[in-house]
Amino acid sequence: MNTNLKISNVTKIYPGCVANDNVSLEFNSGKIYALLGENGAGKSTLVKILSGVIIPDEGEIYLNKNNLKLNSPLDAKKNDIGMVFQHFNLFETLSVFENLIIDSDEQRESLREKIDTIMKKYNFSIDLDIPVLNLSAGQKQKVEIIRCLIRSPKVLIMDEPTSVLTEQETSELFLSLKKFSEEGILIIYITHKLKEVMQLCDEVAVMRRGKLVSVSEIKNENIESLANKMVGQNLKTIKKKKAKTSSDQLIKITNLNFTSEDPFETNLMDINFSVNRGECLGIAGISGNGQSELFQVLSGEIISEKNSIEFNNNYIGDLSPQERREFLMAFSPEDRLEQAAIPQMKIFENVALNNFKSSNFFNNGLINENKIKEHSKKIISDFNVNTNNIELKSQFLSGGNLQKLIIGRELITSPDLLICFNPTWGLDVGAINYIHETLIKINEQNKSIILISTDTDELLKLSDKISVIHKGKLSKIMNAEEVTSEKLGILMGGAN
Amino acid sequence: MIKIIKRDQPSRAIFFFTPVLAIFLTLVAGGLIFFILGFKPFEALKFFFIVPIADKYGFSELLLKATPLCLIAIGLSFCFKSNNWNIGAEGQLTFGAIVSGGVALLFYEQEGFYILPIVILAGAIGGMLYASIPAILKTYFNTNEILVSLMLVYVSKLILDYLVVGPWSNPEGFNFPETRQFSDSAKLPLLFEGLRIHAGIFLALAAVVISWFVFYKTYLGFQMKVSGFSLKTARYAGYKGKKMIILVFLISGACAGLAGVGEITGPIGQLHREISPDYGFTAIIVAFLGRLHPVGIIFASLVVAITYLGAETAQIFMQIPKYTGQVFQGMILFFLLASDYLLFFKIKFIGSKK
Ligand SMILES: Nc1ncnc2c1ncn2[C@@H]1O[C@H](COP(=O)(O)OP(=O)(O)OP(=O)(O)O)[C@@H](O)[C@H]1O
Ligand SMILES: [Mg+2]
Repeated sequence: MNTNLKISNVTKIYPGCVANDNVSLEFNSGKIYALLGENGAGKSTLVKILSGVIIPDEGEIYLNKNNLKLNSPLDAKKNDIGMVFQHFNLFETLSVFENLIIDSDEQRESLREKIDTIMKKYNFSIDLDIPVLNLSAGQKQKVEIIRCLIRSPKVLIMDEPTSVLTEQETSELFLSLKKFSEEGILIIYITHKLKEVMQLCDEVAVMRRGKLVSVSEIKNENIESLANKMVGQNLKTIKKKKAKTSSDQLIKITNLNFTSEDPFETNLMDINFSVNRGECLGIAGISGNGQSELFQVLSGEIISEKNSIEFNNNYIGDLSPQERREFLMAFSPEDRLEQAAIPQMKIFENVALNNFKSSNFFNNGLINENKIKEHSKKIISDFNVNTNNIELKSQFLSGGNLQKLIIGRELITSPDLLICFNPTWGLDVGAINYIHETLIKINEQNKSIILISTDTDELLKLSDKISVIHKGKLSKIMNAEEVTSEKLGILMGGAN
Repeated sequence: MIKIIKRDQPSRAIFFFTPVLAIFLTLVAGGLIFFILGFKPFEALKFFFIVPIADKYGFSELLLKATPLCLIAIGLSFCFKSNNWNIGAEGQLTFGAIVSGGVALLFYEQEGFYILPIVILAGAIGGMLYASIPAILKTYFNTNEILVSLMLVYVSKLILDYLVVGPWSNPEGFNFPETRQFSDSAKLPLLFEGLRIHAGIFLALAAVVISWFVFYKTYLGFQMKVSGFSLKTARYAGYKGKKMIILVFLISGACAGLAGVGEITGPIGQLHREISPDYGFTAIIVAFLGRLHPVGIIFASLVVAITYLGAETAQIFMQIPKYTGQVFQGMILFFLLASDYLLFFKIKFIGSKK
């Protein structure tokens, strides 16, 4: 059984932005296709059109020569097109099984059998009767995939599926995807990680500003050539100059503990470290080992003992994020849709979330809208956010552009210490380079960074010192030169 | 053929159009109900919605009913905008009325310009005190404000009952469950000879203007908006969450308390058992029908006020129970929630295709 999916002259125009510009592409089963492109290039828009979430202004979709009219996600499902979105769409408090059967009208018993066979076939082992909130990110994704497989899809689309997975989980995912492909499922795979494309895919299509710019076979490409096609120019490789080691201490954490009442959070145990001026401390770890709790303790979202955090000779452990900002600390959290920004609010309103007294966003309790807008325009131009409309609701920025806005918002105030958590999550190679350059520049200006990241390459590139967090405990702090990614891998797994 | 299509973005025009649609649908459904009951639908609707406000007196009654609804709904929108579900405005109204009535009774034999402001202030403070209970329990003990504020409504009504039957009942009142009449200095002045509309309407209008300013021009309004969307983001931004919860409850309690003052110091001029025909609950519908927007709330309070009047005329002229008013209020809310579907989806009529 051969599947042929054809996109023909698809165009989708948003006010002020052509998201897909006359795109035509053809896919055949038996191959895994990569869809690449800068942030905002229109990848998600294109696959959302394929899955019925967005309706194109013009153009047709053909599956095995049949013209499909996809007016809703249900239409796509009926036509055997399955999609796993970047953000999970699961009900956390329902069991795995309930989540799987929620959109199906088959009998419970026959479904359970079907699910069991699928899990056996692909070596998935997930307890069907526990609530989804007990699952790891990798397992949740498997649930999403099984949900697609139940309908025996002909096409499976994945939008940036690995951004939340560990390396182990990623390679498991790849094994399954290859198996699906061998069985005749057509796979379309969106990612920003070029390494993955080289490992997994057979063909690659590149988009730029809504247009399809190239389709080629992987065997004729390498990472550099792909990057080049995406950004339209060669990327410089950036490297950090070894900083002159200063001994001027900026922040010191002493015997910091955090015990959560929430069983799904990680407790932090006896955290001790210090960061000097001009230094970048990297904190590595597999996600879910206490990074988010550590971030919140450092930002003041979780208050700790006054003396446990010393910043610039002040004890600040009991201060709120707002008060800490007055000491020139800035925070860039991982979760941009639920924490760092409010998608339903306009860009400039989101800029006002980070409110330093000196930026004068609010005077005597009144909103100073002109000031905020002025500031927003500067962020947008300095950080290349691809819009010029600060009145746009931020949900309409592509993932990468929203991240640039957030990082920009934090950096433009030129803080003494930036604490960031996965700052390049979901960014394209060009944007990553740009953020990395900016982070290096901050260090050169004798300002400090605490970089919590699950991306080891990023950590090795930017850090002066590295520690690994595992089950809420920090490993000893190592000099970055002494560390290799293998060693980090071992520590991340919990070995000493 | 009809097709339902998801909107790319919720449209602002639709945001304010759906309440109008909801009112229209309520009229249609109401007409249908009247028809089933054996009345002529148009005539019945006329009795319900037009006759009551056709003359000067009726119009004054409309404003009289709309005043507390508007005032309370404005207060509630402070809570609702910031993700605090204060369901107990009826209780705050009652308690505000108790406190201000108590103060007015202290002055029952006295006259003086200073009395009315004290009585008004006492009502606001009473409402605030009563609203602070669910607020404090929520911030410091993590209780659910919906339950606490709701249950306190019944407590306040029982306190009122006890007072007007027992200690505060009029010594010369032949054991009627009501207090003495307040002195004229403790009453809100009536605006026109022979009509019941009183100066309380200015309190409501002031609340509208102030709330508009706070919502859209101040840091507090911005913080409320952020907290309404995401408490996690509010925490990240560093807003003082507990302070804000208490503040919005106090504001909303004050408004409900003032509405209570208006009810007892207006035309009635005494405390008795039934000071409010559930204004505190109905105002929840008003707040949402007005989209938590001060101007929207003005219109919504007028519309909902008609249902109170219409129920009364319908009872007189058509011998149907006045609870039909509540049926109409329920339908408005129901259709409002239903038509909110249009915020996210649009309906397209497609000509039949060959
Ligand atoms: N509803 C909308 N209104 C206006 N512009 C929109 C809307 N939805 C998307 N866009 C714009 O369309 C463009 C394409 O967005 P899309 O999400 O497809 O990008 P992407 O290639 O997936 O990027 P990323 O890698 O960052 O996820 C972006 O510039 C985005 O801002
Ligand atoms: Mg995308």
